[in-house]
Amino acid sequence: MLAVLLALSSAKPLRAQGNYEIQVYGAATVEPKSTMVELHSNFTPDGQKYQIDGVYPTNHQEHETLEITQGLTSWSEVGFYVFTSEQNGHGVQWVGDHIRPRVRVPDSWHWPVGVSLSTEVGYQRAVYSPDTWTWEIRPIVDKYLGRWYLALNPALERTWHGPDVKQGLGFAPGAKVSYDFNRQISGGIEYYADYGRLGAFDSLHDQQQQIFVVTDLNVSPKWEINIGVGVGPTASTDHWIIKGILGRHFDWKKPSLLD
Amino acid sequence: MLKLSGMAVTSAALAGLSQQTAPADYTIDIAAYDLEVAPRRTIKTIAYNGQVPGPLLRLKEGRSVTIDVTNHSGNSEVVHWHGLFLPPEVDGAMEEGTPLIPAGGHARYTFTPRPSGFRWYHTHTFAGKDLHKGQYTGEHGFLFIEPRDNPARYDQEIFLALHDWDGDLLASGDGSMDPVYGVSAINGRVLGFGEPLRVKSGERVLLHLLNSSPSEVHWIAFSGHQFEVVALDGNQVPQPQVVSMLRLAPAERVSAVVEMNHPGSWVMGEVRKHIMAAGMGIVVEYSGSTGKPKWDQPNQLTWDYLAFASADPAPPQQAGTITIPMVFESKFTGHGAMDHWTINGKSYPETTGPTLTAGQRYRLAFINRSTNDHPVHLHRHSFELRRVPDHPEVHGILKDTILVDAGTQVEVEFTANDPGPTLFHCHQQNHMDAGFMMLFQYA
Repeated sequence: MLAVLLALSSAKPLRAQGNYEIQVYGAATVEPKSTMVELHSNFTPDGQKYQIDGVYPTNHQEHETLEITQGLTSWSEVGFYVFTSEQNGHGVQWVGDHIRPRVRVPDSWHWPVGVSLSTEVGYQRAVYSPDTWTWEIRPIVDKYLGRWYLALNPALERTWHGPDVKQGLGFAPGAKVSYDFNRQISGGIEYYADYGRLGAFDSLHDQQQQIFVVTDLNVSPKWEINIGVGVGPTASTDHWIIKGILGRHFDWKKPSLLD
Repeated sequence: MLKLSGMAVTSAALAGLSQQTAPADYTIDIAAYDLEVAPRRTIKTIAYNGQVPGPLLRLKEGRSVTIDVTNHSGNSEVVHWHGLFLPPEVDGAMEEGTPLIPAGGHARYTFTPRPSGFRWYHTHTFAGKDLHKGQYTGEHGFLFIEPRDNPARYDQEIFLALHDWDGDLLASGDGSMDPVYGVSAINGRVLGFGEPLRVKSGERVLLHLLNSSPSEVHWIAFSGHQFEVVALDGNQVPQPQVVSMLRLAPAERVSAVVEMNHPGSWVMGEVRKHIMAAGMGIVVEYSGSTGKPKWDQPNQLTWDYLAFASADPAPPQQAGTITIPMVFESKFTGHGAMDHWTINGKSYPETTGPTLTAGQRYRLAFINRSTNDHPVHLHRHSFELRRVPDHPEVHGILKDTILVDAGTQVEVEFTANDPGPTLFHCHQQNHMDAGFMMLFQYA
C-alpha cells in the first residue's frame, strides 16, 4: 500500500530523506462504518549523517506514523496521517500531517484486476523536508494469482511549497510481489523509488531506490502485521531501514447476523 | 426396497434425434439465455427452455417418463435429477457413469420416478473459476413427483426458487477467495420486478421453496404470515410445525402451507438485509389489495431441524449399523484462490469411498473441521437425520441434503438399497469443484 517517502520528490544528491510510511498500497478500501488504525514504525540504522540545508540527518531517526483510515462507502475511504520523529538531540518531534482520500473500482464492475486511485495532500516541517507542502496522485493496481500477490503503485508527486516547486511532476513508483507460504505467513519484496522529474529522470546515482524484504502475518482479519528490512543501493538513499506496520481494524457496525 | 426398471439414457448427435420414433413426455433445450432479472439489468446465462427457473416437470410416481434433452449451450452438459432414486446411468452425474451430452448433442432420459415429493433438476457440471457455468447459471428447474394418493389439502400451489447471480470471486474472512453475488432473486426476478404472487383471503397456499443458489444459504420470512412446514427435501416431516422463517441451504427444499388470513400487500423475502437489498424478495398481493407492499424486518435468525423430528423417543441404533466417519477439512491454496477440500484427508478423485453392501444400514458421521458450513448431498438415496450438535438422537426426518455447520458434527443413517456408484458431495459449486466429493461403490 502506501509508500509515502516524504521529501523523496526532491531526489538530489545528499538531500535529506524521510521514510515515514513505507507501504505499497493494495486496491481494496476500508469498508464503510469501519476504521483501520495503523502504526508505522521505521528506524534508519544507516542513513544520511549530515544536516543539509537545515534538514535534520536521517541516521538513527525513529519514525512513528499514525494512520487512521475511515471507510466511507463500499468503494471509497479517507486516511489521515500524523508523522513524528525521534532522534538523539532532537527528542520526539511532530513532523507533519497528510490527508488521503481514495476511491476504487467497485466489485460489481468485475474488472480482472483491483484498481483504485489515491490522492494525498499534506504538510511537513522544513527541518524534516525542505518541500513543506506536497501533493501526490497514486494509481493502484493489484492482483492475486493463487499464492502470488502483485501490486503496482506508479505515483506522481508535486511540490506545492518548497525548493522543488518548479520541478513539476516527479515519478515515484512502488511495487510489491509476495507469496503465501501458508494461510498466515506471506513473504515478498517491496520496491520504492523516486526517479525524479517526469520526462527528465535523474541519473541512477541521484535516484532514490529502496528494496525491502518483507513478511506479512495474516493472523486475523482484524489485524495487519508487516515487517521488513530495506536496503538503499544508490548514493541518494538511506542505506538501511527497518520497518514495521501494526494495524487494527475496528468495525463500528452493531454485530448482527441480519446485516 | 426400490424397484428399478425401464430406465435408460442415450446420447447422440442432434442429427440422430429424428431417429427416435416415440415422442418424449418432456423436452428440455439447454441454451444461452438473456435473463432480465431487474429493470435495465440483463444477465447472460444458460437456461432450460428459455426460462428461469426451467419448466415445472410434474411426474407420476412409478410411471415411466421419457425426457429428451438437447444441448445448445456450447459446452458439454448433463442433467441431474436431484432427490430421485435412479440408476447411475441416468442419475445425471458423470462421476457415477451418466454420459455427458456433448455440445450440439442430445440425450434421452427414460426412468421411473420415485419417491414422490418435491424434487428438482439441475446441471451437474464443473465450473471452477468460471462463475458463468455450472450451478452459477440458470440451469435449474422444479420437479414434482405426484404421489399415488395426495393427502395434502391446499387451494393453490406455488413453486419458488432462490438463486444468486452475477458472481465474482472476492477475498473472504477466512483468507481465501469465495463467490460473492451482486444480484439475488426469486424465480429469476428481483423484488418488485415481475408479477406478484396473487392470493385470496382464506386460501391455503402450499409453497414449495427451493434454494438453487450455487453457494449461499438463504433465510426466508413472509411478513404478516407464518409457514407450516410439512416437508423437507420433498419428504413429509413427522411433526409439521408453524415457524416464522425458513432456512434453506443450497439444494435444500422446504414445502410449507401458509394460511392467507392477513389481507394486504406483503413481501416474502430474505431476512438478511444485504441480500434483500440485492433483490431476494417477492410481493404477495391479496385480491383487491393495493398499496405499498409491507416488510416487517425480523430481528433474529431462527431455524431448527429438530422441530420437525418425531416426538417419539429415538429408537436405539439398529444392531449391525456400520458407522462411516467423514472428516471435512480445507486446504489453503493461496489468498488468491479458492480453498481445496478434503474428505478424510483426500480430495476427489483421490478420495477413497466406502464399499457398501446392499441391504446394510450405515451411519455417516459428518465431522466438519473447517470454518465453512457445508450442505452435503447424497445421490440416489435418502438419509435419516439422527444427530445434530448438543442434542440426543433424533429420528423421522428424511432428507437428501443436510447443512453441517462449521466446526460441528452431524450424523445421518441410510440403508444401502440402490446398488451402483453413488456420489456424495458438498452442494456448494465451488466446494465440489475443489475436491469435496466422494464416490460410494456397492460390493
